[in-house]
Amino acid sequence: MTAAPHIEVEDLVIRYGAVQAVGPVSFQVKAGEQMTLLGPSGCGKTTTLRAVAGLEKPHSGRIRVGGRVMFDGEAGINLPAEERGLSMVFQSYAIWPHMTVFENVAYGLRVRRKSQAEIQDRVREALALVKMEAFADRHASQLSGGQQQRVAVARACAFSPSVLLFDEPLSNLDAKLRGNMRIELRELQHRLGVTSLYVTHDLEEALAMSDQILVMNAGHIEQHGSPDAIYNSPRTTFVADFVGSSNLIRGKVLRERSSADIVVIEADGGEVIHAATCGRQVGDQACLSVRTVHLDIADAASTPPRHPNHWPATIQRSVFLGDLTQIHVVWGGRELIIRRAGPQHWQEGQQVMLSADPAHCTLLEDN
Amino acid sequence: MPRSESSSAQLIVGGAVALVVAALVLYPVFYLFQAAFDVGDPNVRPPTAYGLDNFLTLPKYWEIMVNTLVVASAATVMALVFGFIAAWILTRTNVPMRGTLEQLMAVPYYVTPLLGALAWSLLGAPESGFINQLWRAMGGKEALFDISGPLGIAWVMALFEGAVAFVMISAVMKSMDPALEEASQVMGAGRLRTMLRVTLPLVAPGVLGAAVYVFAEMLGSFSAALVLGSPNRFYVLTTAIYQLVSQYPPRMPLAAAMGVSLFAIMFGLVFLYRRLTLNRSFTTISGKAFRPRPMDVGPLRWVLFAVCAVYLFLSVFLPMATLMFASVQRLATVMPTLSNLTLEHYTTAFSLNAVRSAMGNSLWLGFWTATIGIVLTGLIAWFIQRSKLPGRHFLEYIVMFPQAVPRLVFAFGMMWAWLVFPIPIYGTLWLLLIAYLTVFLPLGVRTISGVIVQLDRSLEECGEVCGANWFYRIRTITAPLLRPGLVAAWFLIFVASVRELGASILLMGPNSKVLTPAIVESFFSSSSELTAAMALIQTVVVGAAMLLFLISTRRLSRIES
Repeated sequence: MTAAPHIEVEDLVIRYGAVQAVGPVSFQVKAGEQMTLLGPSGCGKTTTLRAVAGLEKPHSGRIRVGGRVMFDGEAGINLPAEERGLSMVFQSYAIWPHMTVFENVAYGLRVRRKSQAEIQDRVREALALVKMEAFADRHASQLSGGQQQRVAVARACAFSPSVLLFDEPLSNLDAKLRGNMRIELRELQHRLGVTSLYVTHDLEEALAMSDQILVMNAGHIEQHGSPDAIYNSPRTTFVADFVGSSNLIRGKVLRERSSADIVVIEADGGEVIHAATCGRQVGDQACLSVRTVHLDIADAASTPPRHPNHWPATIQRSVFLGDLTQIHVVWGGRELIIRRAGPQHWQEGQQVMLSADPAHCTLLEDN
Repeated sequence: MPRSESSSAQLIVGGAVALVVAALVLYPVFYLFQAAFDVGDPNVRPPTAYGLDNFLTLPKYWEIMVNTLVVASAATVMALVFGFIAAWILTRTNVPMRGTLEQLMAVPYYVTPLLGALAWSLLGAPESGFINQLWRAMGGKEALFDISGPLGIAWVMALFEGAVAFVMISAVMKSMDPALEEASQVMGAGRLRTMLRVTLPLVAPGVLGAAVYVFAEMLGSFSAALVLGSPNRFYVLTTAIYQLVSQYPPRMPLAAAMGVSLFAIMFGLVFLYRRLTLNRSFTTISGKAFRPRPMDVGPLRWVLFAVCAVYLFLSVFLPMATLMFASVQRLATVMPTLSNLTLEHYTTAFSLNAVRSAMGNSLWLGFWTATIGIVLTGLIAWFIQRSKLPGRHFLEYIVMFPQAVPRLVFAFGMMWAWLVFPIPIYGTLWLLLIAYLTVFLPLGVRTISGVIVQLDRSLEECGEVCGANWFYRIRTITAPLLRPGLVAAWFLIFVASVRELGASILLMGPNSKVLTPAIVESFFSSSSELTAAMALIQTVVVGAAMLLFLISTRRLSRIES
């Protein structure tokens, strides 16, 4: 696998009339990598994907795939979707109801005028990939949602495209099936070594499936990085809030106590908190993100941890969520949310000691 | 601007379709307007002088305007009452045999106002009408009622347009979420309060829309007024235009001025209708189907059943039975003797060369109009709904033009236009084919568009991403998926063409006779018994064609599944 960029998007702007829906955005996907566009609905992620596919006409910018120019606003180039040689799995699956499973999967091969024998072989292969060989002669109307989803994937892979585009392919499945398909799709992508661009609004899906994540908001890229980087060092309040659940803490920077790596902040409620700068610019005011799972609570009487971030707090309420318990505490005149696994036994009004490792308190760029 | 995203094939076909449509629609409209403003020598074309004189003479015909307004208003009110009551009964109550009744409500539409008018003239003519004969036999004085007056004409029009009003109003009632009413009841409001404060305001825009639409249709309707009114010189705008064109010497500019005025009014009404229904779609139609929640009306349901049955009796059963009854008598009377019964009208009808060639012509025209029509309107509907070509909204407006013009007025423009056309198609079946294709554009486009918008866009987009070009996608994905819509459109256009009157009556020539105008001609020039026989023959032929078509398409779909 080479590390050359396979999909290159530069200064892409997409408009609907006077409304600027996307952009300008720029990103690259390396060959064989899976890049996920993650964001809330209406953030422009699907529009961006459709522009790469050739289904949406951008206003300006450039899109190159495998070095070939697909769209160039200045040069007036815009290849129609059918000439781009990409492949796509649609949110609604778009399984043609008037064809059998076999015909659905064979479509791209027939368009490419492959021989009958080759079509037979490659359709079988593609159906085997998604474990649907037994269903070749069925009509789409006789398939369940999960099966349609598999056929859609087989159809997208059958003609060996170099790039696969996924538009929220799992959003119409129920939660359990979604979990399984997530892993299957990830394995498939690894096995085929195909470059893919994946759109979702589901955080877990993005974290589980991607090599790189692009968090989008209101048509712009908020942060680009590995799943680990996105989760552990969010750059902006939007990313901190959208990717997982976070407590956002604002306050005044105490410059004399801060160093290059650690910034010390006096929160609005008066509490002092140490946080990692992650190499980011430090101003007079700051905003921190502390993940709900990175906050610890202990009995007020227990020994404090060795780092400076520990404070007294009061339990407000405890909500049982199944895998997790969500505990609300009052800290410095405001509420913080903590999520802990395992049985919790905190009483309302109980005095506790709250603590957070400074390495897990992340300075955000915007405040 | 880069335009390469819509492939050149799309651009070429789209451009060609737009040109054809523009030529079909705008060319005759242009000549209609030209004639309306022509104040020069009537025998010279193109006109030698233009002016408003033709319009300035219109006030002299105020009587016709009043007649038109009276007939159209009365018919609209009656049709809405029929439609609203039937819609309420069939969507909101537990009337017996609801499903069957609902399907039967479409039948008046297929009976057509022409057949209704022929039958009701047999029933309600002041002297010879069956009902008036009975009335006198029972000791009544004078006539019980006169079908040839304005209210009689309105009555016949309303009977048949009532089915249209029913379809429109019941669609509104069905699309209303019953939860909206239930919410009001849960909050403690009674039935009456719920009806007044929730149901009525929600349904009102839809009913208003139906009223505007029906009124526009009534202004342009032709056949009932022609059959019932013109024998005793009672004219509305459409029949007056026909009279002015067909009399000797014809008064083309005046007819054109009337046509343009009618066109302007109907165009305004259709525009208003679109505005009204556009707003409605945001308030009550949420696109999901609701579980019907009929109200239990107790024993009253049999009364409501009778109301629907009476409507169907008056609009379907009675007219058809009357025509049958009259067609087997030498001289139609309400209590015939055995010796008066005969089948001679049928043998006459079948032996008439005019009828035989007219029947053949009508079926030929119906077949080709429908066949060419679904290709043309299918492409238009696709371009309007799915393409990104510039000017597609313009296309949408042009296509809906013929809806705002009575077919008779449109045919007038066409007659005027094709008379000066270098290729001599005037007086041939080709002109009728062109006319039918034009006037039924809205019907085809509306029917097929309705199916296209229900198709998930990504079904076609997926073909695009798979590398299929536009023709290939249309052939392998769009057309097969649209088949039910195309079949329905074929069917509707076929039936409408075979029974077309308004355009045909002006455009047919001695060698291109078609069936419906032949029936009307026979009504005016020979006996009403023969006319009844011809009307029935037409109904049976259309019915048989419909049946054949239904069976063949059903068999096809069964083979596939």
